[in-house]
Amino acid sequence: MVRQGWLPVILAMILAAVVLLSNQSLQLGLDLRGGHQLSARVLNPDPEAVITADDLDGVKNVIQRRIDGLGLAQTQIYAVGSDRVVVQLPTAQPPQEGDAEAEAAVDNTLQQAANQITERAVLQFGVLRPSEADRYATLAQERRDARVAVLLGQQQLEQLQRSRGNAEQLSAVREELEVAQTTFDQLEQDIGQLFDLRPLTGDDLVQVVAEPNPESQGEYYQLSLTFSSDGAQAFADLTKEVASDFNLRLAILLDGRSISEATVGREFRENGITGGGARITGAFTLERARELEVQLRGGSLPYDTEIVEQRTVGATLGADNVRRSLNAALAGLALVSGLMVVIYRLPGLVAVAALAIYALLNLAVYALVPVVLTLPGMAGLILSFGMAVDANVLIFERIREELRSGRKLYQAVEAGFERAFSSIFDGSVTTLISCVALGYLGSGLVRGFAITLGIGVGLSLFTSLICSKTLLKTSLFLYPALRKIKYFQPVQ
Amino acid sequence: MTPSETVPPLPEIPSPALEAGTPQGPFARFQASRYRRMLLLLSAVMVVMSLLGFLVNSRDPQISAPLRAGLDFRGGTSIQLELTCHDPGPCAASERLQLPVVRSVLADLRLEPAGEGQPAPDPSSFNLQLLDNGEGILLRSTALTIAQAQAIEDHLAMAESLAPLQEERTQVDTIGPSLGAQLLKSALLALTAAFLGVAIYIAIRFSPINAVLALGALVHDVVIVAGLFAWLGQVFDVEVGSLFAVALLTLAGYSVNDTVVVFDRIRETDRLQPQLSPIDRIDRSIAASLVRSLNTSITTELPILALALFSGGELRWFAIALAFGIGVGTYSSLFVAPLLLGLLKKETAPSTSSPCPALSSLP
Repeated sequence: MVRQGWLPVILAMILAAVVLLSNQSLQLGLDLRGGHQLSARVLNPDPEAVITADDLDGVKNVIQRRIDGLGLAQTQIYAVGSDRVVVQLPTAQPPQEGDAEAEAAVDNTLQQAANQITERAVLQFGVLRPSEADRYATLAQERRDARVAVLLGQQQLEQLQRSRGNAEQLSAVREELEVAQTTFDQLEQDIGQLFDLRPLTGDDLVQVVAEPNPESQGEYYQLSLTFSSDGAQAFADLTKEVASDFNLRLAILLDGRSISEATVGREFRENGITGGGARITGAFTLERARELEVQLRGGSLPYDTEIVEQRTVGATLGADNVRRSLNAALAGLALVSGLMVVIYRLPGLVAVAALAIYALLNLAVYALVPVVLTLPGMAGLILSFGMAVDANVLIFERIREELRSGRKLYQAVEAGFERAFSSIFDGSVTTLISCVALGYLGSGLVRGFAITLGIGVGLSLFTSLICSKTLLKTSLFLYPALRKIKYFQPVQ
Repeated sequence: MTPSETVPPLPEIPSPALEAGTPQGPFARFQASRYRRMLLLLSAVMVVMSLLGFLVNSRDPQISAPLRAGLDFRGGTSIQLELTCHDPGPCAASERLQLPVVRSVLADLRLEPAGEGQPAPDPSSFNLQLLDNGEGILLRSTALTIAQAQAIEDHLAMAESLAPLQEERTQVDTIGPSLGAQLLKSALLALTAAFLGVAIYIAIRFSPINAVLALGALVHDVVIVAGLFAWLGQVFDVEVGSLFAVALLTLAGYSVNDTVVVFDRIRETDRLQPQLSPIDRIDRSIAASLVRSLNTSITTELPILALALFSGGELRWFAIALAFGIGVGTYSSLFVAPLLLGLLKKETAPSTSSPCPALSSLP
């Protein structure tokens, strides 16, 4: 018998896999653990221009900074294809039952994240055109009225919802509120257009902090801004200009809508407001102020985006999916193992051991790469079991053929492995070629499937050609009692 | 089909020679070429049935595509909700959801428009489907915004005429229409690239004829499985999504893998037994591969059938597509591709005794 140099290698790999798996847990995809996935598409304003990979990366980085700013755990953000950014928000912990506050917070997360993804948050500063002073006064009065209407509507709606008012009333109030909100939004935009923009933007900010507004006794929040040195100079110039005329106003515009217009006291006529600080004191709620803080800190988005995909999987549903696919995998494995032993007897038993090693190595590779396991990924794993078994079937059929043609047992085993090699190799390479194509070009689900199938096919080359062979030959070497042809032949 | 088919040679009794290329064992005397006409006819019938299915679906105004496209490719929103009465036991009959009740609850709901010029969808236009005997419900509509989907969930959760819903088992999927088209495009691109790569590899390892035939067998398998789902879509409203594309891609890989194994056997027989006619060599290779192919199919089918049994929803259809496809793939790799190879070889190399194709073309 030849020495089996591979045996220690195989044992070492099993040990390494066990150690790796006990220290590192597998990463589960959203469909298995529950959570939200949002995909945003970057809208190209100019069909002639191409959004390059760098542009997309820029969008991704802004979104990344903003989502990180929300302080959510284990979020994942990546660019997909030529114009998409995918944001994954796993469910942190299933909220306690009846804990309405926690449940509301979970619901809010999704909307908050969506706002961070789609709102560009372009901060601009402008000066009122002197000819528009009268029009400004009219619009500002209208906006005050609209704001009151919105606040009233919100209160009414809240009351009705709390008292579970009838649906007709509810929808009537909702409709009114909607109209008021639209009017208010439109007015903010109209006011924004009365101002000439100045060369100072959100890019000139170095710090943004949301804090309670002292004048409102903590009911409202304000944003305090700190400019870079260039920004501070521009701001000083701007305020000097506004201070020079009593009728002028300084507007702060967010995405083209004026969120605050201020006068500047005459004492700043000489130098403007220096020191590089400013605050925005619109009537922000805590939530809105925090949202703006995160957006401005993360930077403005270079493009408009729209959400093209939302997938939400409840946490229990995810756990269900895990249980189901594990059951399927185990049942499939048990059936295949039983069948292999019945059909191929001793080599079948060896193949089952090789398959167990195969399953272990697969999981270890997932932990090492790491591969995020999804439902299609599980399907790929289960299918690759089938292909791993196929390699063993090819070999054992060959061994039987060799035995039938009268070879000695040991020669037959050698020849069986040798002659099955080319078909196993060609078959695996063709599958790997498809996996590579799918992994590179496919998206989402398709990729998850291709990755697990590809890893599986690669590993099955090793387990069938090396593990099975080593185990079979070692067992024949150690236990001469097994060297009987009947252990290799079908049951008569 | 060949109009003028020659009578296949009489079966030869395998010599007891210790030649490994000679098949022995259960199916050793099986001569596939004797049944060639029947086998190829069966394939042709299945392909024609599939094409007919595509045609019927394309002309159906409700589908107007070869297959009934699901959410992934068409765009839209689906919301799946389940009742809470699950955990202690099944819901009482009175607690179960009923379509008219859900419809009347939804009729009270008014959704906010997504933006200017985008009117809110009318909840009465939603497609509703009860799950698990009314313990769950599936709503489908055109693509909704996050706020709209949330409003529907909240509205149903608050409705007094419905049993409480289990938030932890909610599933919401929204695919914008533009993304759907993109997903379809990327799936087709990946499929084409995979085909090309595999064809080039086989052309190098075997010959261009083998590459064409392997691809032919693959297209045969994909068309027949897609045809089954075309009919399932027509009769049982089964939709195909990304997972179905994954199933077809897997089948493509499996089918080629299987065909390559048989081609490998033919190549080996060509080398070891050049004295036989090409048809005989192919018959013997098929006979020698038969047990292996059947055993492999069974062992691969088992985990997939387990998947079909234990999973639900879209994943179950995925498993069914794979299970059926592996059956078709095994059939085509054993019979369709090798038998066509035999036909082509017979035409190109009428003198059967020469082991070397280059010599056989000499006068």
